[in-house]
Amino acid sequence: MSNIDRRTLVKASLSAMMAGAAFSRAAFAQSSEPILLGVSGPLTGPNAQYGTQWKQGFDLALDEIQAAGGINGRKLAYQFEDSQSDPRQSVAIAQKFVSDPRIVMELGDFSSPASMAASPIYQRGGLVQFGFTNSHPDFTKGGDFMWSTSVSQADEQPLLAAYAVKRLGLKKLAVLHLNTDWGRTSRDHFVKAAKEYGAEVAVTEGYIAEERDFRSTLVRVRDASPDGLILISYYSDGALIARQARQVGLKQTICAASSVYSPKFLELGGEAVEDVHLGTRYFPEDPRPEVQKFIAGFKKKYNGQEPDAFNAYSYDAMNMAAAVVRIGGTDRRAIRDAFAKVKDVSSVIFGQATFDVESRRVKGAMNAELVVRKGQFALWDGKPT
Amino acid sequence: MSSWLDYTINGLIVGNVYALVAVGLALIFGVSRLINFAQGSIYLVGAYIGWVAVVQLHTPLPVTIIVVAVASALVGLIIERFGLRPLQNSVRIAPLLATIGISFVLDQLVMLTVSPNPRALPSQLPDIRFQIGGGTIGPLDLLIAGVGLASALLLFVFLRYSKLGWAVRATAQDRDAAMQMGVDVNRVNQAVFGIAAALGGVSGLLVGMYYNQIDTAMSLQATLKGVVAEVVGGAGNVPGAVIGSLLLGLVESYGVAVFGTSYRNLFAFLLLVVVLVLRPNGLFASARQAPPEPLTGTFIAPSRPVRIPRWALLVAAGLFAVLPFFPVSFYVLQTLINAWLLGMLALSLTLVAGTIGQVSLGHAALLAIGAYTSALLSLTFSAPVGLAIIGGGLMSAALGTALISPSFRLRGHYVSIATLAIGEIVSLVILNWESVTRGPIGISGIPPLSLFGYELISPISIYWFSFIVMVVLALLQGRLLGSHLGRSFRAIRDDDVAARAYGLSLNRYKSLAFIFGGFAAGVSGGIAAHLYSYINHETFNTQQSILALTVVILGGLGNVVGAILGAVALVGLPEVFRIAAEYRILIYGIVLLLLVRFRPQGLLGTI
Repeated sequence: MSNIDRRTLVKASLSAMMAGAAFSRAAFAQSSEPILLGVSGPLTGPNAQYGTQWKQGFDLALDEIQAAGGINGRKLAYQFEDSQSDPRQSVAIAQKFVSDPRIVMELGDFSSPASMAASPIYQRGGLVQFGFTNSHPDFTKGGDFMWSTSVSQADEQPLLAAYAVKRLGLKKLAVLHLNTDWGRTSRDHFVKAAKEYGAEVAVTEGYIAEERDFRSTLVRVRDASPDGLILISYYSDGALIARQARQVGLKQTICAASSVYSPKFLELGGEAVEDVHLGTRYFPEDPRPEVQKFIAGFKKKYNGQEPDAFNAYSYDAMNMAAAVVRIGGTDRRAIRDAFAKVKDVSSVIFGQATFDVESRRVKGAMNAELVVRKGQFALWDGKPT
Repeated sequence: MSSWLDYTINGLIVGNVYALVAVGLALIFGVSRLINFAQGSIYLVGAYIGWVAVVQLHTPLPVTIIVVAVASALVGLIIERFGLRPLQNSVRIAPLLATIGISFVLDQLVMLTVSPNPRALPSQLPDIRFQIGGGTIGPLDLLIAGVGLASALLLFVFLRYSKLGWAVRATAQDRDAAMQMGVDVNRVNQAVFGIAAALGGVSGLLVGMYYNQIDTAMSLQATLKGVVAEVVGGAGNVPGAVIGSLLLGLVESYGVAVFGTSYRNLFAFLLLVVVLVLRPNGLFASARQAPPEPLTGTFIAPSRPVRIPRWALLVAAGLFAVLPFFPVSFYVLQTLINAWLLGMLALSLTLVAGTIGQVSLGHAALLAIGAYTSALLSLTFSAPVGLAIIGGGLMSAALGTALISPSFRLRGHYVSIATLAIGEIVSLVILNWESVTRGPIGISGIPPLSLFGYELISPISIYWFSFIVMVVLALLQGRLLGSHLGRSFRAIRDDDVAARAYGLSLNRYKSLAFIFGGFAAGVSGGIAAHLYSYINHETFNTQQSILALTVVILGGLGNVVGAILGAVALVGLPEVFRIAAEYRILIYGIVLLLLVRFRPQGLLGTI
């Protein structure tokens, strides 16, 4: 392209127009208009359920933020654009948000392809992309405008491995994992940690998200004669595996990643998930005030429904966004800088969340060791099952 | 080895589950020579009706089954009456597309009514397990097997001994002759759709109970596996469908046994391709059976294309070229960049599907090959991005043509099924070939677009770049269509017997079309890879393939301008309908249905 001059000309005129629009809006907005966050996530398509769960968490957090007087007197609001977790749509949404002066930062997307395809646009456009479910190790490497509160699997998996190997005394493990970027990364961290703690990993099996039938996989697992099954799964596939494992007569201890922590896991798994062990970031009887507030508020707002992990992630993300905007105001660069300044934000997942400026992630997720007893999640009492 | 017994039993159990869907598909194909892509959606509807009956109304199992069967049959009748009967005298591709549209609409309606969260569908049978080998089976396994066998048997008796059954078979053999003999063909079709839908619904219910889980994403998987099983067994052959299902289950189970879980679907689709290549009519088709498609090409609508004057095209191209000088937002430009990228894919597909008549349902695989090649060339070998993209195009052309060439002997529907399978195979190979493709982790940090050392980073420069590439490809393709080569392509599409009689080598011309088409699609994928900076095996999925096909049909098969127009429309419309986020796919499905019904030749007509 030889017309650099023309391009800069166009750019200059465009930015002048935008600035003009922003100025007139700013003058008007100071008092009444809400501070707007952009959300890019799936509301239709195969991942639609997660977008719906996000909304519940966001809305609850916003109710509380508004009730506490908003952000310096202004309301906080979000604009949810449906990306279907499709990179083609998430890049268009990214341009939309970047060129909309009302948007002060962006949250999402859900899947790695959709989120990371949009990252270059957010980075160049100077708008923070705050990915709160993006565990892909390369997500925050997209640039200094990418921040994430997703629990790093390098943090979580050693905790699960310690539960399985040190506490439950399992020595020979079979690992079943979702064959996605999340599942693969988690598996690698888990296997590494489990070996360090002295356990043997007899077999690892990756399965695709649409898989329903695990009988043949479980024969492979049986033939490896492990004394424990590790599920790096979401709640629906986790429940399927647990059911089929019990049906084919595998009686080994099952230990699952925190992503199965959902009332749906109990509903879908039924009796088969009894005695399943799992590490989680919070649990209902957790005495921490932020957890109690979250669970009580959630049940009240959604007719007694129990919140799950994804509700907690989005609830935390909205609270974090509010904390950041309180410090950074509505300037996009100041907001990016505020991520490095924000300290000890009350969080369901982390207790107190502070970003590690180097990795742009939060370290030190809370850990609780639960077990399913009588169809309910309960704190593990140390008794073997 | 006792494990092999277990793998065998597990394979049969799963095959049993597939059989329920496959039998319904086989029945419909047997009578109307149509692969019903909406069968999975009826399965979904049946599962949710069952959920309402069991969880809300607490009906006992026999009542639940009857309720589900009747309600699903009703859905089937409605589909037949309003979705497919109006297309009776239309071209053969129309009903196929209509079933795709119907499945979008049904899936989306279910999702809007019940929310996409998965639900538990408790089994109403006692929880007893019988020990067989190293595993166990339960009463539900037996019930599913019983329903599968009983329905196959009942169908056999019905088709052989009842008067309506005779009519069904007569219609399947020769529709026109049956009509002349006084068979009420519509009633036959109705009966068949009712029965197939009832079966589909009940299978959704039973499978839902089997896994204690139903969700709105289950429909596509059910259709895919059902279609594979049906085609393996011999399309239209009911006992064949049952055996094909069991075989599919076994192959998957042994595949897991030997290579591991993540290879499972790879084996399912490889089985399909192998069967299609060796025995295109399926394993159990009798030799006497009529050829599955008519010999002459009535698969695609012949029509008079809309002539667009050259000056209008020049003006339109000029307007789009200078668009960035006007104060349009980057969002509009980005949307148009998406349209140009989809336009290149549509150019490729319109050549392959429209001009030479090979309707491909796996075109996204070409994007993926181009994208991975370009990304890896630039990352591993530090190739300049411009060259890497061309490399992606060449690789797509070569590999795509090589993969599809075994199925050149197939016709009509079978080409679509084979390409669908090849598309899935490519995606699964990308997932599993970790040493090269980095598996599920995907490839990140792909360098941005650049040309002669200048980085194209602003949306304006990317816009111009993708627009120019698309226009060049379109001009080349226009030139190609006007040459004798283009005429030979169309001759093969319209009547391959006559074309062969004139001395045209079908395989050579089909290869040429796929080479050119593969290049355009590969370039599109390559550009996308550098635009996104991150790709993995999910970036280019089946939905992309179906979207591309819709674009091509909207524009008019084989129509170069139509392909671009279609791409702009189908990228633009969902953005316009952003306000109605939850309803977008629904609207999309309805538009597809209306289009097939009222303008099957597309907006600009087939060339």
